[in-house]
Amino acid sequence: MPEIETFYDVMRTQGITRRSFMKYCSLTASALGLGPAFVPQIAHAMETKPRTPVIWLNGLECTCCSESFIRGAHPLAKDVVLSMISLDYQHVLMAAAGHAAEAALDEAMEKYHGNYILAVEGNPPLNEDGMFCISAGKPFVEKLRHVAEGAKAVISWGACASYGCVQAAKPNPTQATPVHKVITDKPIIKIPGCPPIAEVMTGVITYMLTFDRLPELDRQGRPAMFYGQRIHDKCYRRPHFDAGQFIETWDDDNARKGYCLYKMGCKGPTTYNACSTIGWNEGTSFPIQSGHGCIGCSEDGFWDQGSFYDRVTDLTQFGVEKNADQVGFAAAGVVGGAIAIHAAVSALKQAQKKTQSTPETNKEEV
Amino acid sequence: MTDSTASSPLAGTDADAEDLAHVSRQTSVYVYEVPVRLWHWINAAAIVVLCVTGYLIGSPPPTMIIAEATHQFTFGYIRFAHFAAGNILAVAFLGRMYWAIFGNHHARQMFYLPILNVEWWREVLFEIRWYLFLEKRPKKYVGHNPLAQLAMFCFVTLGVGFMIITGFALYGEGLGAGSWADRMFGWVFLVVGGNSHVVHTLHHLGMWWIVIFMIIHIYVAIREDIMSRQSIVSTMISGHRTFKDDDPN
Amino acid sequence: MTITPNGFDLDNTGQRIVVDPVTRIEGHMRCEVNVDDEGIIRNAVSTGTMWRGLEVILKGRDPRDAWAFTERICGVCTGTHALTSVRAVEDALGITIPENANSIRNMMQLNLQIHDHIVHFYHLHALDWVNPINALRADPKATSELQQAVSPSHPLSSPGYFRDVQNRLKQFVESGQLGLFKNGYWDNPAYLLPPEADLMATTHYLEALDLQKEIVKIHTIFGGKNPHPNWLVGGVPCPINVHSTGAVGAINMERLNLVSSIIDKCIDFNKNVYLPDVVAIGGFYKNWLYGGGLSSQCVMAYGDIPENANDYSAANMHLPRGAITNGDLTTVHDVDVRDPEQIQEFVDHSWYEYGEPGKGLHPWDGVTEANFELGANTKGTRTNIEEIDEAAKYSWIKAPRWRGNPMEVGPLARYIVGYASGHEDITEQVNGLLTTMDLPVDALFSTLGRTAARALESEYCGRLQKQFFDKLVTNIKNGDESTANIAKWDPSTWPAEAKGVGMSEAPRGALGHWVRIKDGRIENYQCVVPTTWNGSPRDSQGNIGAFEAALMNTKMERPEEPVEILRTLHSFDPCLACSTH
Ligand code: HEM
Ligand code: HEM
Ligand code: NFV
Ligand code: SF4
Ligand code: SF4
Ligand code: F3S
Ligand SMILES: [Mg+2]
Repeated sequence: MPEIETFYDVMRTQGITRRSFMKYCSLTASALGLGPAFVPQIAHAMETKPRTPVIWLNGLECTCCSESFIRGAHPLAKDVVLSMISLDYQHVLMAAAGHAAEAALDEAMEKYHGNYILAVEGNPPLNEDGMFCISAGKPFVEKLRHVAEGAKAVISWGACASYGCVQAAKPNPTQATPVHKVITDKPIIKIPGCPPIAEVMTGVITYMLTFDRLPELDRQGRPAMFYGQRIHDKCYRRPHFDAGQFIETWDDDNARKGYCLYKMGCKGPTTYNACSTIGWNEGTSFPIQSGHGCIGCSEDGFWDQGSFYDRVTDLTQFGVEKNADQVGFAAAGVVGGAIAIHAAVSALKQAQKKTQSTPETNKEEV
Repeated sequence: MTDSTASSPLAGTDADAEDLAHVSRQTSVYVYEVPVRLWHWINAAAIVVLCVTGYLIGSPPPTMIIAEATHQFTFGYIRFAHFAAGNILAVAFLGRMYWAIFGNHHARQMFYLPILNVEWWREVLFEIRWYLFLEKRPKKYVGHNPLAQLAMFCFVTLGVGFMIITGFALYGEGLGAGSWADRMFGWVFLVVGGNSHVVHTLHHLGMWWIVIFMIIHIYVAIREDIMSRQSIVSTMISGHRTFKDDDPN
Repeated sequence: MTITPNGFDLDNTGQRIVVDPVTRIEGHMRCEVNVDDEGIIRNAVSTGTMWRGLEVILKGRDPRDAWAFTERICGVCTGTHALTSVRAVEDALGITIPENANSIRNMMQLNLQIHDHIVHFYHLHALDWVNPINALRADPKATSELQQAVSPSHPLSSPGYFRDVQNRLKQFVESGQLGLFKNGYWDNPAYLLPPEADLMATTHYLEALDLQKEIVKIHTIFGGKNPHPNWLVGGVPCPINVHSTGAVGAINMERLNLVSSIIDKCIDFNKNVYLPDVVAIGGFYKNWLYGGGLSSQCVMAYGDIPENANDYSAANMHLPRGAITNGDLTTVHDVDVRDPEQIQEFVDHSWYEYGEPGKGLHPWDGVTEANFELGANTKGTRTNIEEIDEAAKYSWIKAPRWRGNPMEVGPLARYIVGYASGHEDITEQVNGLLTTMDLPVDALFSTLGRTAARALESEYCGRLQKQFFDKLVTNIKNGDESTANIAKWDPSTWPAEAKGVGMSEAPRGALGHWVRIKDGRIENYQCVVPTTWNGSPRDSQGNIGAFEAALMNTKMERPEEPVEILRTLHSFDPCLACSTH
């Protein structure tokens, strides 16, 4: 593709000096958690690579993933879009509509067949022949399959594409289905979160552009570099957790001192994401820092784990609305009660037996 | 495992010919060897600790402000006690499994169910009837009675096994991705769909399964000690099963 | 030809134009129009093409969790559903919130208004008026002069600055990888800006992109993240501690300073960039007066931004409440969202079923039961719709009505209601703009009027934001640091049955959530959302909705290039995920 300029070309002609280009590369390196040794490698990648075509599809979603994406600070969303990738189809931002938009899609698919990245925000519903999400008159799932066919790799943006998210919460009336259950023959990178952190989104893209490979994925298909640890593992309130210093109720003294939100239902101990390290909106804060527990928004099925405010949650999995302790207490109570009765009857029988027979005649009873 | 014939009064139990001879001629059989008894009491202690600390992990005690967080480790100790007891439980369980292979045949009883043996089922039914006061006279058993065997298998082999597997899966989260526990037990999360909160819930429910076992187990042990024709409680201390009569049936 | 009860002549002969997907909106939408020989739109059909079933999913859940579910109705107007939801639950359970929580919620809601309006104008709407390709022909020096003329105090205005942007743009275009600008309608004669203005506006497109990520940090500070900050029934989750030990774990002086600096940034940008751009660009399109639609007839607002906590009466609101019907600006009706006679939703042309034709349901008794079926005159197949049959069911959007009228909601509706009811700030702003642009009041009832009202509102909201910041600080100064009321946090304190309603003014207009709670669980939850009003399909009477009405009688330069359709639809800032939820 000789007509495609490299990222470096674009930066240079923008009037950016070699020096600030190198500075940019070292910033990228540190954003990715890499040491200075990687700076030349990043620079080389930027100097030689054309802008990678990205086709971005929207299914059933709320567009918060697009919104999060444009909050990107390093790199800036505008730099990503103008200089790093070629965003050839993206409903929320593209100029063209209708036939012209679909023509742009067809053209990109044809021209870059096998080379484009498919980024999916949202998911396809399968009920009602897929017509709970219609694009250009047809079920979205059809479009998804069609575009995936020529993709090099698929990025599942957010909890919707990765897991189904809110529309897949029980009873999932549209049968909203995560991307990997529909596209099974392509490498899929899940970037869960509702939405994912902007810099995680751009971090994954820059990683792929820089190192020309897919990021290392964890067991669930998420980049290990950002999803390898729990919120809880790097939460700055963790010392309070270990100390047993908890917020007991909203806005109490402990809340004002920034104690641990565990008792308020914090799902940080079971949530894999980068919030407690990278933070949100340029590290301004993250849910826990602003006083609310993590609701587990980057985990599969986080909508169906009982109330966000319970630590020991209701057993929605079993169709009862009691938590494990309530169920356990009740069951143990029933067993204990039964045993008490049983013991009473046993004692009675034993007493009867004693009066009816001498100890020695025990064996004669049949 | 048993060379008694189907017509034998103790068919379907784990008593062999030698045991049968003991039952009718002697008043005591050595059932639980030292490792089994040792395991039993370590196990009992560990589980009590695990239940108490586990409950507190789900519902922590009220906040205590003794020092700055860095110098206070209240909840940390509770969790530490849980993990320590959990590790002891697991190691002991492994040891018990080893002994099931190398110990006497009674040591195996907890780990299998002779579900294809019709007689065994008949005995289970008999024991149920005994507990429902429908049988006047209890039978003699050397090891566990078949109902107890069923209960031990479900509550202990499966129950404690489940707690160990889910427990170490959760433990692996703390040790971190790539840790031995994560590598060995990380699959557990995939089984439940990916969200480890589900494993917490299941592990928590499992506690109640174990609590229910404890209630039944201790009651039955004492009751049988009084009402059955053999010693129970002292057996788990001395290892010897003493019979209160010489009748083999 | 039919004349609808709300006065539009529909003629579905002529050329049928289909726009699907409608882009630069939130969610999935389709639009079909019929144009006559002169290229004038004579029939308009708007279809919401997605549905997720949030109202179904909410049933049986903990009402304290509902904010998180409903917040995910939309990531663009993020937070507004959550706010509306906690209000509905608080209304049902009789929970009051502390004054500080009210101030913080107001700041967050105002912040959303500003953010949403700026992103809408620059990133979702501007390309309907601004031609970035044409910007390549601009003289940066002339652009600089233009910039300094329209906004003397904007610091980024040197010729060199504009030259750099232009160079960057040039490289981008010359790369052949046009990305987001690909297949735009760049040589359509509907674009009227001179290259200097195109360059200035394109530059601001990029500036606004940088700025918007700063603005939302107010959400991040109080709610932990954006999009989708966290909320709390009974107040706000962030505690305040400005005086004592541990303050760094709460809203403290550093956090307040950050909030304050962001508020100033909003105010500056509105004043120096957004409003001047609207005036400058609008000036070139003064004669494009299409798109009034329902705005001159039926508009409605619920009001929002309560001055004092827990008082949701119209008099306590900074954004106005009221309804205007039949174009009678002299009468502003009271709106009572609890009144079953006032607000009803119909589904005769929507893909839902009530079991009875022509039936309207008040949201407390609302039913959401999907039923996808196409009319007999649909062209294409069930899974490949070429032309939709608007005589039958044709949209996933329900048809809400106020006393039987389809209504327009949104910034323009708020401004018309405010203007008609003599709201001081609004009247002053509107008169000021009309004078500056030398336009009559009637000019408001148009596509551009909608766009202008949004900009004015952004400016007004910036000021209000500051007001509530000051109020918060004053209250803290007076010794009140409380942010949450937990008296009824525990479900055991709730009545066995309760119902409530929450209202707000979302960026796109009047938003209501109605909830019924039974035994501590949600029994029924219904949302009637701004884009449900604006994007409404026809009702059983044949009334067309606000989008459809606004497209009527527009002249298209080139019917196959839907620039004009996009202009008018975009002026509403459609949000389809919201509309159908
Ligand atoms: C009978 C055996 C056990 C019982 C009754 C038990 C009980 C519990 C309970 C009730 C919880 C709280 C769950 C929640 O609601 O979050 C818990 C947590 C946990 N248990 Fe166990 N457990 C047992 C065995 C084990 C074992 C063998 C391990 C392995 C080391 C283990 C490791 C853990 C871990 C890592 C947690 C989570 C701690 C945390 O989140 O801070 N448990 N256990
Ligand atoms: C958490 C606590 C306990 C657990 C998990 C537990 C578990 C077990 C298990 C698995 C066995 C079968 C041993 C085998 O077949 O190898 C057993 C037997 C026994 N346990 Fe426990 N036990 C507990 C507490 C107790 C206590 C407190 C007592 C004393 C009252 C007790 C008395 C016995 C007795 C007497 C036997 C022997 C039964 C027989 O003779 O067949 N156990 N227990
Ligand atoms: N319509 C709508 Fe919203 C807004 N503004 C919701 O209430 O955008 Ni998504
Ligand atoms: S993952 Fe969450 S934030 Fe992203 S589109 Fe889905 S609902 Fe919205
Ligand atoms: S606030 Fe949440 S994530 Fe942080 S230490 Fe407490 S439980 Fe863990
Ligand atoms: S709720 Fe989501 S944003 Fe982060 S702290 Fe928890 S994963
Ligand atoms: Mg609704």
